[in-house]
Amino acid sequence: MVGWAFRALVSAHVAAITGQPVLAGVYLSGDFDGLRWHAVGADVVTSIGYLQLFAGIAVWVRLRRAWPFATTTAVVAAETVQYFAGLEGALWLHVPLGVMTVAALVVQFIDVWRRPLPRRKGAENA
Amino acid sequence: MPEGRGVTRRRMLGIGGALGLTAASGLSASAALARRPPITGAELRSAVTLPPPFQTPLPIPAVLKPVSTSGGGDHYRITQREARAELLPGVTTPLWTYEGSFPGPTIESRRGRAVTVTHRNELPVPTVVHLHGGRTPAASDGYPTDLVLPAGWPDAPSRPGHGSGHGAPHVMHDPRAVVTRLTRDYTFPLDQRATLLWYHDHRMDFTAPAIWRGLAGLHIVRDDAEAALGLPAGPRELPLMIADRAFAADGSLAYPSLDPTLRERPGVHEPYLGGVLGDVILVNGAPWPVHEADAARYRLRILNASNARHYELEAVTDDGRRLDLVQIGADQGLLATPVTHRLLPIAPAERYDVIIDFSDVPIGSRVRLLNRLGSGRTREVMAFRVARRAADDSTIPRTLATDLPAWRRTDAVRVRDFSFRAGRLHGGHGWLIGGLPFDPARSDVTTRLGDVEVWRLIADVHHPIHLHLVGFQVLSRSGRPPLPHDAGLKDTISLRPGEAAEIITRFDGYRGRYLFHCHNAEHEDMAMMANLEII
Repeated sequence: MVGWAFRALVSAHVAAITGQPVLAGVYLSGDFDGLRWHAVGADVVTSIGYLQLFAGIAVWVRLRRAWPFATTTAVVAAETVQYFAGLEGALWLHVPLGVMTVAALVVQFIDVWRRPLPRRKGAENA
Repeated sequence: MPEGRGVTRRRMLGIGGALGLTAASGLSASAALARRPPITGAELRSAVTLPPPFQTPLPIPAVLKPVSTSGGGDHYRITQREARAELLPGVTTPLWTYEGSFPGPTIESRRGRAVTVTHRNELPVPTVVHLHGGRTPAASDGYPTDLVLPAGWPDAPSRPGHGSGHGAPHVMHDPRAVVTRLTRDYTFPLDQRATLLWYHDHRMDFTAPAIWRGLAGLHIVRDDAEAALGLPAGPRELPLMIADRAFAADGSLAYPSLDPTLRERPGVHEPYLGGVLGDVILVNGAPWPVHEADAARYRLRILNASNARHYELEAVTDDGRRLDLVQIGADQGLLATPVTHRLLPIAPAERYDVIIDFSDVPIGSRVRLLNRLGSGRTREVMAFRVARRAADDSTIPRTLATDLPAWRRTDAVRVRDFSFRAGRLHGGHGWLIGGLPFDPARSDVTTRLGDVEVWRLIADVHHPIHLHLVGFQVLSRSGRPPLPHDAGLKDTISLRPGEAAEIITRFDGYRGRYLFHCHNAEHEDMAMMANLEII
């Protein structure tokens, strides 16, 4: 269950973050509403990020695997910096960090689907 | 498989480390290479020795005397001609001027009292005069193709298909252009709020180099309501036209024109497509000047007449204290109530009417006006030396004006979106509005006289957006409330990279063909203009 929740959140996270450059492009093409959607997207992406962080803690506690938590922490930290860099208009940081965050999540996505998390030991006893 | 897992783990660590290193070097490279704060444009380096700052006294442009006055208005004459001036000590600089001086002479006028200026063009190229911020009928607004041709200039081909145009000056075809030879009367009704306007060249494709060579001057509109406020006046009201320039080895103003004669081929060399910045800051034509001041309040009427340079001004005392800059007016006149700044950003063509109080500054010490966006010499703008104690009966009333329009979003009959961004122009690089380069023959915006509209503007890099004829209010910036310096009625709004703004205005005054454009003068010359037709 915990493993599947983590997978689902990583998948949703990738899907959501892929929309962000799309909306940024729409905005810069002159569509004023694109910025509002980019901001809504940022809220969605960041929220999923924090949910994924909780799921990462659960994976760590119940499945004894620390790496999902560690990598998610890095991604969420980057996303948080990214979020505020965007609000401040610090595009020198916002743009490259955004690209890197997408890349990191794609790697995480491949990883969770290629290498399933083990079932909880306790499940065998239940 | 403990062996396999070990290899995988080691490899995973390697991959992770490599990706981490890539990310770190990417971000460091961005931090190192990106301009922080961002600056749009490229700086020219002067080839002459630059004077030390705060030595040259601040000049005040002379006020032009009318050649005649009647019950209805005042008549002025201005000759546009070449002149030589000593802007830098010991360096003679050839200029293009209004009446032989840079800045040109100041025109002082009264609200509602018409001013007619007969401009005579004795320069080697056509010119166009635009009164920036003026509520002016279209025929006198200085549309870029309404040229005043100099004596020896060939007539534009009048019949379509006549000749191949080879050797003819580059002029975009505009069937509605009203071209005159040698002189033109510009009539300004000045039925508008009291404020600081400025007049400058607006010739199609060549505005930026013409302003750079000196074609700019101030025009002040006054009224009784403003005079009754008790603001600092007389010698304690200082117009400050801030403009950056660069000087070539022969003393002339350096500018990267493709065609230095400014006759045929418009544009600048590739590195300067973003805008031309100079390394010398001139205020009223003097490099980093100093002004001897009383320990009293001063009214500074600041204009950024630079082609592309943005400033973020702060007033710093010798002991490092930052003085308040109390903004009382914007581009289009007095604010409703004062706004206090410590840092005042100002984009090309913007004006700020600011009170600064020197009364607590030790006698004999300086207050330097600095530019936080500058580096090296461009960090400094000018200085005041507080010379003496003095009585001061000036005030800054809490209520400055009650006549500001109260437009609401619900008043708007339409909303328009415009993007201001880089694009392709004649096979090269240019600057576009809504994806299109300027074409005098195309209608971009058609609106009815009296309509209220909301415009939503989006920029890729810095674009100071200017609307002719009307003043507007700022409703939002990037979806958030306007910034403190957005207060009041403006005619130019500074968009920073990636920024969007919503503005609201009522198109009233006169019918006819006007413009809106980016006031980065290089962007403007590279097609970042559009037509605003009021019917």
